[in-house]
Amino acid sequence: MTEIREIPIVARGRIIRPEGEDSELFYGRGGAQFRSPDPHRHIHDLVLGNPVLLSDLMETPTSQIIEFLVEVGKRLRLEDNAFFQESFELGLLAGGLSEPILRSVYERLPAMFDGAVLSERVEQTIGSAYLDGWVPRENLEGRHRIRAVGTRQLHITAGNVPVVAATTIIGGALTKSDILIKSPSNDPLTASAIARTMIELDASHPVTRHIAVAYWKGGDEAMEQQIVRTTRIDKITAWGGMSSVKHIQKFLQPGLDLIAHNPKFSVSLIGAEALESEAAMNEAATGIAVMSGLMNQTACVNTRLVYVECGEDEDSLAKVEDLGRRIAAAYGTLPAFFSTPADALNLELEAELKSAAMEEDFYTVIGNTVEGGVVISRFPDRVDFYEQLNNRMVNLVPVADLFDAIKWCDDTTQNVGIYPESMRDRVIAPFALAGVQQFVPLSGGDPAGVYQEFNTNPAGLPHDGIEPMRRSVRWVIDHRPARGQTTMTAIAAE
Amino acid sequence: MAQAVTATGIALDPAHPEFWPELGFDALYAMSWRDCLEPQTEALCLRFQQMNGLLPALDKLASKEAVTRIDGIEDALPLMFDHRVFKNYPLSLIETRNIPKLHAWLGRLTTHDLSGMDLEGLPTIEAWLDRLDEFGMLVTTSSGTTGKLSFIPRSQIEYPAWERSYMLALHASLGVDPYVDKVETFSPSYRGGHQTALKVPMMFNTLAAGGVEHYHTLYQTHMSADLMSLAGRMQAAEDRGELDRLGLDPALLSARQEMIALARRRPQDLADWFKALFEGCRGKRVKISGLGGDLLRTALDGSAKGVKPSFAPGSIAFYGGGLKGFKHDLPDWEAYVCEFFGIEKLGTCYGMSEVISQSPRCSHGNYHIMPMIVPVLFDAEMKPLPREGKQTGRFGFFDLLAQTYWGGFISGDEVTIHWEEDCGCGWKQPFVGPTISRYADKDGGDDKITCAGTAKAYDDFLAFVSEG
Repeated sequence: MTEIREIPIVARGRIIRPEGEDSELFYGRGGAQFRSPDPHRHIHDLVLGNPVLLSDLMETPTSQIIEFLVEVGKRLRLEDNAFFQESFELGLLAGGLSEPILRSVYERLPAMFDGAVLSERVEQTIGSAYLDGWVPRENLEGRHRIRAVGTRQLHITAGNVPVVAATTIIGGALTKSDILIKSPSNDPLTASAIARTMIELDASHPVTRHIAVAYWKGGDEAMEQQIVRTTRIDKITAWGGMSSVKHIQKFLQPGLDLIAHNPKFSVSLIGAEALESEAAMNEAATGIAVMSGLMNQTACVNTRLVYVECGEDEDSLAKVEDLGRRIAAAYGTLPAFFSTPADALNLELEAELKSAAMEEDFYTVIGNTVEGGVVISRFPDRVDFYEQLNNRMVNLVPVADLFDAIKWCDDTTQNVGIYPESMRDRVIAPFALAGVQQFVPLSGGDPAGVYQEFNTNPAGLPHDGIEPMRRSVRWVIDHRPARGQTTMTAIAAE
Repeated sequence: MAQAVTATGIALDPAHPEFWPELGFDALYAMSWRDCLEPQTEALCLRFQQMNGLLPALDKLASKEAVTRIDGIEDALPLMFDHRVFKNYPLSLIETRNIPKLHAWLGRLTTHDLSGMDLEGLPTIEAWLDRLDEFGMLVTTSSGTTGKLSFIPRSQIEYPAWERSYMLALHASLGVDPYVDKVETFSPSYRGGHQTALKVPMMFNTLAAGGVEHYHTLYQTHMSADLMSLAGRMQAAEDRGELDRLGLDPALLSARQEMIALARRRPQDLADWFKALFEGCRGKRVKISGLGGDLLRTALDGSAKGVKPSFAPGSIAFYGGGLKGFKHDLPDWEAYVCEFFGIEKLGTCYGMSEVISQSPRCSHGNYHIMPMIVPVLFDAEMKPLPREGKQTGRFGFFDLLAQTYWGGFISGDEVTIHWEEDCGCGWKQPFVGPTISRYADKDGGDDKITCAGTAKAYDDFLAFVSEG
């Protein structure tokens, strides 16, 4: 029998457990079942009706918030945090990551709470001075002072990697904001586990007092209508595009700022030089394998399409096939902490691959959805099912000119892997205009090294083409009178 | 080879399933599927033998699955074509009008040798399909949710059994023999073209009506295959202000504008058309054939305006396509439609472009499968479900009427099949019902959210104009 897990509501320093009639059963993925308090009874626990109640957080210096988060981070260890252990267990059941990968993701979560990292995230974006006080403009005698003021935020988070839960909580604290997190069914507990760890540490801390976490079924109109109101929410951060925003769309109105992290996928651009020598081919293959294989291709950063600069003649296509075989082989060399074979075949994708393989004039398929592999287009177009590419399966598409790939890039294109480096400066500008968000290197040739390079992003970089931290606060101006005027008023008053 | 004789003494000749429809639906439905299984199996094995080596797509699948001969239905299960097979060509072939490659691709799906067909002077897909018809093929197209066209490679060889079985389904679901009793037919649809939903009525509704002049449609035009398959790309190009750069036939661009205009005024045209029909056919016996949603919309509009037909007794209606999301709050919309139109019988069938023999609905609301189809249900792991009791799963079948292409097919439909023949309507054979859902519609029921993927571009244009 399936065990029914309890998912409490975390409401501003309090934990509300399902009890008696105040209880609702939800069915998650992978057969997971969980019981939560009836969220409809707790609207007022979840939202902050009066924004002025944020003054406690506003008055807490950023340095103290960072100190608190650092303490929280120290307690987020899988080995001795019972909340984390439970969340990890449920994440394995309900999410899409294999055990070694999910474990390594959890093991790296505390590093997100490192003091220097947190400080960099604030200083490189908003700047703590703007959060802690009014910062005068230098011109006009500093009469205009600006402050970044916290907001009330609803976060509809993605659950494919628990990192999203952690970064949401950190972002909320660092922007001195009140956050309500609607947990996803594929990661129902990570945010809750972090919030409960905070309560254990200090239930009365202003940061703890401004975090609420709950699960309700996306599209529950009675819920969303109550929550998504300008009187209760200032900003909505929605991951997952239409599927998550289509329900709340009807409640959107001027005054509610929607920060949409639309679903994205990533691509790679492989220059002709990659096919010219064995060494280059191996280096490119390793880079592609890492970029598509990390977290088993469940995330937006994974390359699914690989545009290769070459002709459509047999010789060129044979070289692309050679590259494809090397990519398939490289999957086998990836360390288990970031990439593993899949537990089972992906039947839908297998069916696509099977029918593609039937048309050998058009496609060549190497590998499968357990070990990973490639599907090679033998003409310059993507496969129809490119959105379904998963389980470490990429589509290699020959293009006569890399700029031909621009037409397939838009705001849904997140990262663009580049190989070799020599062509980077020549190609990136038009792709940036087309809508892509980040160019990343594929060179190095050593899987762990390439992976390491992917993980060296400093804190506080833009994300999805915007600066979410700066976007999450309200920028308020305090316009004071000129000095002379102040004096005159003072005299008149006397 | 000896003919298999069923318990009721009727012979199903396994060498010629294409003649089975000649027996009539009464006889076919008097038989139990259990008695048909032997001739069906034998017919299936024969089909495989006949096609083996002549059908590259099947040969490829058979060699991949290491199947060299089949002695029973189970042996043939790995050889069922996925729904992708009939649209397994790169869309760029259509965009670039690469007819030779498309033609070669289609050639691998049929036992006919298409290499002899002249491909000169074919500017569009539509022109290619026209020429295929002249060559002896009867290819029909259908578009799924992605807008990509499937090409069903039927030919004149299938035509006689196709016609027979279609008429049989009409007869069984309406109680009127279309060969004998010709009824003036009205269909609020487009006319002609190669789209299954238009080409099949043009072939057979005209016959049932007593000639093309007795088959009346709302519009005398249709949407070309090119337009249907390129709608998405054309919209994207137009959004970029680069429609002219696609290098399309100017006629195609103006056809697109016409279709958009037509679709905009369709509700009004539909109302006017029915009004004229009601006035012109007062006291006459008619058959109305169309989408369920159009019939209901007309009935609701008419009732609100006080416009009501008064056809002669014995008028009938046949619908397909369900309501397609048409919202209403009627407890029994079909009864409402019958009442409004003053018709005695509203017939319908369960079928799809990929199957020849349609399954008519019986008096108890179930869809009975005729023995020209060997149905198979699959569970989520694509394991066949047992042929007993009541089973729900993915619908697959072997269409024994497919003589020049492979009739093994796995659909995207989830259905319930009742194997005990306990419908109560008097007909035997396995029946499907009452609800049928598409697996594609089930996506999105899951509340998981990820950052990966793209929002599926919803193609308004296609939804807009393909309704007819």
